[in-house]
Amino acid sequence: MRSYKVRDYVMVGLFGALWGVVETTLGTYVNVIFPWFTNTFFKGVILGSIGVAVALTGRFFIQKRGSVFLIGVITALLKTLSPGGARIGPIVAILMQGLLMEIVLSAAGDPRRWAYVLGGALAVGWNFPHKFIMMRVMYGRNVVQVYTKLAQDGSEMLGIDASLALLILSILLGVRLLIGGVAGWGAWALGGAVTERRGQRRQAAAE
Amino acid sequence: MKHFSAWGYLLFTLWGLGTALVARGWELAALVAVELVFGLVWSQEGLRPLRRWRFWMFIGTALAMGPWLGRRAGMTEAGAFPLSMVGLSMGLEMAGRALTLMLAFSLGLSSLSLSDMVAVFDGLRLRGLGFALGVAMNLLVGLQDMARTTFETIKLRGGLRRPLVALRLFLVTLVSNTLSYGDQVVQAASVRAFDPERGGGMGLSPRQADVCLGAVLASFSAGCLLL
Repeated sequence: MRSYKVRDYVMVGLFGALWGVVETTLGTYVNVIFPWFTNTFFKGVILGSIGVAVALTGRFFIQKRGSVFLIGVITALLKTLSPGGARIGPIVAILMQGLLMEIVLSAAGDPRRWAYVLGGALAVGWNFPHKFIMMRVMYGRNVVQVYTKLAQDGSEMLGIDASLALLILSILLGVRLLIGGVAGWGAWALGGAVTERRGQRRQAAAE
Repeated sequence: MKHFSAWGYLLFTLWGLGTALVARGWELAALVAVELVFGLVWSQEGLRPLRRWRFWMFIGTALAMGPWLGRRAGMTEAGAFPLSMVGLSMGLEMAGRALTLMLAFSLGLSSLSLSDMVAVFDGLRLRGLGFALGVAMNLLVGLQDMARTTFETIKLRGGLRRPLVALRLFLVTLVSNTLSYGDQVVQAASVRAFDPERGGGMGLSPRQADVCLGAVLASFSAGCLLL
């Protein structure tokens, strides 16, 4: 943290707020921009990936270790201060997403496109196990029995093999990882586009 | 005026979360009672989730899962109402754990204001993070307005006919403007000679009430362990 300057903290705060804005404001816009994606699953994944893309774009402009995690911390704290109140689920999810992105980006060292793609994929992919892990934490170990029974009953009712449930779960995880990867790729591209635009703006001002 | 300092509320949240994770059976019931008393007396804001139907739906689902599981496992008793006591107690425990965890989180953190959080960061020698939180909170409304204006502008100029291009335009404008805001804040901070590593002194020291709260919570935990 000692290497952080005032500008870095300001950017951490601003991108943390921007992630919060995206989470809260863009929900309504997604319905307008992508009306065919009003399904909750897609909406959640799209919103999550845009939020992750914003946080990763923040890292593009704050090339310091820990910055994405700090952006996540700020977003989580804003969530606790929001009128919706302090809810444990979304706050843990945001912190975990920030941590996963940070681990990948810190391990990669220098900023690289593949690290953004992998970080984005893991962060959006986290939404999937998060639900199960939070249920296990909230309800205790009994919930595992409930899951097992539900899977067995569901496969019996639909007349499909229980192993197919695993395939469905893998597909759901895979879709998230893919969209997250695209979000990471998009964040890299967005960072580049913004840098270019700001360069042009400065050049115009100088002229 | 708040009875405890931010440390007291944070202590309650950490204690509540820890206890809820290890408590079983009647201990969970006792914990719910302690949390409700704490909420009614010192953190009424934190009881807000109890007024939401989604909260009760979540708790009700947990409660209903137990008997259902019992019936599926053939643990039901014969009679007009085939209820399983094992399943019911299982459901109660699941609902109790969920209730205590959510309350512990809400009761402690809902009572903290922005200045409390900044003071906690100061106390932890993370002054920069407190500053970042202040910046985020103060510019949140500005950023929201900017996002709304950007979206409306793109919409009015027919940008939504190409959704992906519109999304790209939206995000590029959003991030560019955010960086411009950032430059202005950095300039203002430099003019005031703000240094995140120096100064401060706003750190929060625990009050006597926090110490008393800690002692009461510790004796509750000890009582649960002994009984």
